[in-house]
Amino acid sequence: MRPSFFHHLHPPTIPARQSRFRYTLAAGGLAVFLMLILLVTGALEMFYYIPTPDEAALSIQTLAFLVPYGGLVRNLHYWSAQLLLVVSAAHLLRVIFTGAYAPPRRFNYLLGLFLFVTAILLDFTGYVLRWDEGVHWALVAGTNLVKSIPLLGNTLYGILVGGGQPGAATLIRFYGWHIFGLTLAAIILGFWHIFRLRRDGGIAVPPPPLRADQARITRFELVRREGLAMLLAGAALLLLSVFAPAPLAAPITNTAVLTEFTRAPWFFLWVQELLRLGSPFLWGVLVPLAVLLLLTLIPYVFPKPAPAELGRWFPKSNRAAQILVAILGLAILSLIALALIPNP
Amino acid sequence: MRRSLLAASALLLLALLVSLWQESRRPIPIALTPTLTGQVEYCRTCHADLPEISHSHPVETFGCVLCHGGERLALNADLAHSTMRGGANPSDFSVVEASCGGENCHSGAAADDRDHIQRATSSIQATYAGAIASLRYTFGAQPDLNARLGIYAIQAPHSASGITELAAFDPAQETNPAIRAFAQDCLYCHLSAQPMPGEEYSRFNGCAACHSPAPLFDSPPIFSENGGSQRGAHSLTTAIPYTQCNRCHNRGNYDLRSMSFVPRSDHSTSRLSDYYQPIAQFTRCEWTLDCVDCHTRTEVMGDGSLYSNKKDIQYIQCRTCHGTLTELPKTKTLTDPNHLAFRLAFLNPVIDLKLGDTVLVTEKGEPLWNIRPLSDGTYELFDKANGQRFTFRPVIGSGCEQKADEQASQDCHKCHAVER
Repeated sequence: MRPSFFHHLHPPTIPARQSRFRYTLAAGGLAVFLMLILLVTGALEMFYYIPTPDEAALSIQTLAFLVPYGGLVRNLHYWSAQLLLVVSAAHLLRVIFTGAYAPPRRFNYLLGLFLFVTAILLDFTGYVLRWDEGVHWALVAGTNLVKSIPLLGNTLYGILVGGGQPGAATLIRFYGWHIFGLTLAAIILGFWHIFRLRRDGGIAVPPPPLRADQARITRFELVRREGLAMLLAGAALLLLSVFAPAPLAAPITNTAVLTEFTRAPWFFLWVQELLRLGSPFLWGVLVPLAVLLLLTLIPYVFPKPAPAELGRWFPKSNRAAQILVAILGLAILSLIALALIPNP
Repeated sequence: MRRSLLAASALLLLALLVSLWQESRRPIPIALTPTLTGQVEYCRTCHADLPEISHSHPVETFGCVLCHGGERLALNADLAHSTMRGGANPSDFSVVEASCGGENCHSGAAADDRDHIQRATSSIQATYAGAIASLRYTFGAQPDLNARLGIYAIQAPHSASGITELAAFDPAQETNPAIRAFAQDCLYCHLSAQPMPGEEYSRFNGCAACHSPAPLFDSPPIFSENGGSQRGAHSLTTAIPYTQCNRCHNRGNYDLRSMSFVPRSDHSTSRLSDYYQPIAQFTRCEWTLDCVDCHTRTEVMGDGSLYSNKKDIQYIQCRTCHGTLTELPKTKTLTDPNHLAFRLAFLNPVIDLKLGDTVLVTEKGEPLWNIRPLSDGTYELFDKANGQRFTFRPVIGSGCEQKADEQASQDCHKCHAVER
């Protein structure tokens, strides 16, 4: 059978051991799948969404309640986005805990990291596009964090918000970022990331002399496995979309008045908890950037994983990096959990 | 692998069917574009069997959202109801201006008789200023009976009584334990208060306290599938029966010493015994007619001024309708088609008033639009609550023994009162 275009996107064979679900968790592939769903559902939503403060929330209500299958499209978009962040985080953790960032994959690791940041920003800009009371606090608090940056803060705020306070200009800018700027960045970074993956020799494995198991699977088998993952993920997405609709609240009527609903989106809840500790600039900007910087430096500062130990979970040679990331991950998860405990 | 793919495809197909099924359960939206707003609303998708609230507020003109607030496009109950004003009652005084206000509606000019909100919110029934002043004076918290405090703070710059503002009554600021006990136990009967528990006290707040006469019920009974809608609950009317006034009035007595409310214990079997407590005697009209037949709009809703006592605003006497030994009751011939009397008769068509008709008016010029002189010197009255027709005679030409200087209603009671 001659390989199709889709088959040709994959290497002719890949090592059997590292192609198992228990090794990769299918995380990277699922991330690609979810991004495709986001592109399609997002494009459909563009037929109805109106990016003005008066119409935004109402257009979403129209889509969710009055357009046939509009609610389904919106819920699919929402859940694909949230699952994308979860799956991307899982992929990042997998890469670190298997030492797969070892040279020559260090640059690709950076590409992936910035792709993750782009996905987070896409999730946040999409969140703000709801322009309802559920996002009001996050919009004000998030943009105010930018203002807290010394020297550059006010200029950056002006560029981000387009005025003295969040308003019509902010919404149209966030819309522009969401459907074009950040999407373009995600597409470029994504293609580059996948190109580099193939250029760097595919999935990380020990070199042939050091490899214990020489078995391989064909690209046809690999595509079948990816198809299986997509079918299951698709089913899960549909069920989530049916039984857990995306949140919706009353439109923002006055940007100057905040309701009591003070909550960041779930992926920023850890920052919200940190902000309790004091200075917004330190805890809201510097600390998250420090976390990002730490993650960026891992392939360059920590001892490189030994080539013989690649292709398996928790190799000994990059144990320090694993421990650091485990601590960071647990800390962030704990902060998120802490934020979800209702206040007395 | 083949088997896994087949199973996964079946699972996806199942999930697709589930989403198709859910889509089929989506209610067919029922649109309404009221002429006053021009913006489509979908409230009727769930609330299709809700009765029209009144023929002066037709839903095709007003819609629902103009008065109630709410999200007009949402078909999810929680979201749709999230921005409703005042919960189920948009006439609650905390939101009444947004719901019922407007120059052409109920917060317009006094000259157009459209200042209902300003008058109702400054009335004694709303501010409770009389009870508060009286009690504070009794227990030495203020030197005279002039009202200084109301249930909420309010201002009336052009107040005829000289009292241009009331501060909010704050029990925490009161030192006298009796006044604090009063605040604890006795504040159930002003227009922004939750009524006492009990079927006999149940009523809405705000404008609906009087104008939506119906017993309340706990669960939203608006849909027929939830146990039936109660007739009259979603209604606005000026045909207010005495039973509605009796949600607060004639319910019992206050004991100042124990600072407690003693509910009336009699079990009424007739309209007479139901109307008033067994504490006084009343003339026949006082229990045959309904409260609103005598107590005019100005008496009940106030005139926009702040008063210290209900006696400052009550002014209807027997002679208002019956005249005196030397005077017939005042009348007015209606030559202006925009006169208030026609508007009121349109709202409550118990009488067919025509241009050129003569009706009684009060000493302050308020039209008693349901009372007309007849050609034989008697008068006809149509009960505002049920449309029943009565006829009555003026004092002139009768055997009445009233004195010229004893013209109060209590003087008429000496002969005309009925033993309860």
